[in-house]
Amino acid sequence: MTEPSWQRLDALDHKIVDKLSRDARISNRAIAAELGVTEGTIRTRIKRLQNEGLIQFTVVTDFRMAGSPNLCMLGIDADPSRVTELAERLKHMPEISCVILMLGRYNLLAMGLFTNIEQLNELVIDQIRSLPGVQQVNTAISVHNLKYEASVAKIATTKQED
Amino acid sequence: MQMRSGRAITPPLLDALDSNIIEILRTNGRATNQDIAKQLSVTAATISARLQKMEDARAMRVVAVTDFAARGYNVIIAVGVKVRGRNVQDVGRDLGKFPEVLSVNIMNGSHDLELLVALHDFSEVQEFLYDHIAGIAGVAQIEAGVAVDIVKYEFNVVPL
Repeated sequence: MTEPSWQRLDALDHKIVDKLSRDARISNRAIAAELGVTEGTIRTRIKRLQNEGLIQFTVVTDFRMAGSPNLCMLGIDADPSRVTELAERLKHMPEISCVILMLGRYNLLAMGLFTNIEQLNELVIDQIRSLPGVQQVNTAISVHNLKYEASVAKIATTKQED
Repeated sequence: MQMRSGRAITPPLLDALDSNIIEILRTNGRATNQDIAKQLSVTAATISARLQKMEDARAMRVVAVTDFAARGYNVIIAVGVKVRGRNVQDVGRDLGKFPEVLSVNIMNGSHDLELLVALHDFSEVQEFLYDHIAGIAGVAQIEAGVAVDIVKYEFNVVPL
C-alpha cells in the first residue's frame, strides 16, 4: 500500500480545499484574507495540491448540453487472470467514463453516458463481449439520477500512469 | 433516451464566445476573468457576465475536484439496492441524504437503485451497510462490490 496521501494535507490545506469546493473561482486574495495568510501562501499551497494530484479544477457541463444521455453501468465478469488487462482495454474506450476493479460483485464495473440504446448495444456486443476473457456483461441503465457529487473523484496521476 | 430530472430538457443555447470560455476553463479552471478576457479580446466584465449567465442557466459550472484520497476516502463501494414496499424514488432520496453516498441512480436492471459509497476505513463498512443503509425503510436487499482499483473516473458531463 502506498502512503495515504490525505495525511499530506495539513489543517491549512483542508481549509483551502473547503473554500475551493464551495467556489472554485474564488480568488487567491479572497481566500488569503479569509484565512489570515498571504496570497503567496495560498498560491503555493494550491500549486502543490494540483501537482500532487489531490485537487484539480475543471468544467462540468449539464447533461442537457450533451443531448441528455443516460448513465449506463456494465458489470463485467471475466477470467480472473485477464481482469487487469481488460481494465486497461476499457480505460482506452472513449465511450467509457469510469472503470473500477471490483471484489464481491463483478470483476469490473464500467460506466458510460449514452444518448441511444443502439450505441450502447454496439459497444457491448462488438467491442466488449468480444474481448478475450470477458465471460458476461450485465447492462443496467439509469433512468433517473437522484444525486451526483461532482466535487470528489479519482484524479489520474499522469506522472505515474501511461 | 433522455435524462428525466423533472426539469425542461431543452439545453440553453451557447454561442461561440461561451464555448471558447468553456474551453479555456477546461484547461485551467482557475484562469482569472482578466486572463480569459485577454485571450478572447473582450473585457473582463463580459467574461464575468457570460459565466454568470451560463451558471444561472445551469449549463456549466467550474468545480474544484478533490481526490478520494485527499478527503480520506480509502474505501469505495458500489452498492445495488432492491426496494420492496415503498416508492423507489423516496428510498433513493433518503439514501442520498447520507454524505457518504456520492451518487444515487434509479436503475432499470436487476437492482432498483445503484449507489456509490465512499468510506474512510474498512471498519466503517459493516455499520454503514447493515445499520445506515439497511435501516432505511423499503431497502429489501443490498449487494455490495468493493473497489480495489479505480482505473478511470472522468465525468465531465453531470446533472447540474
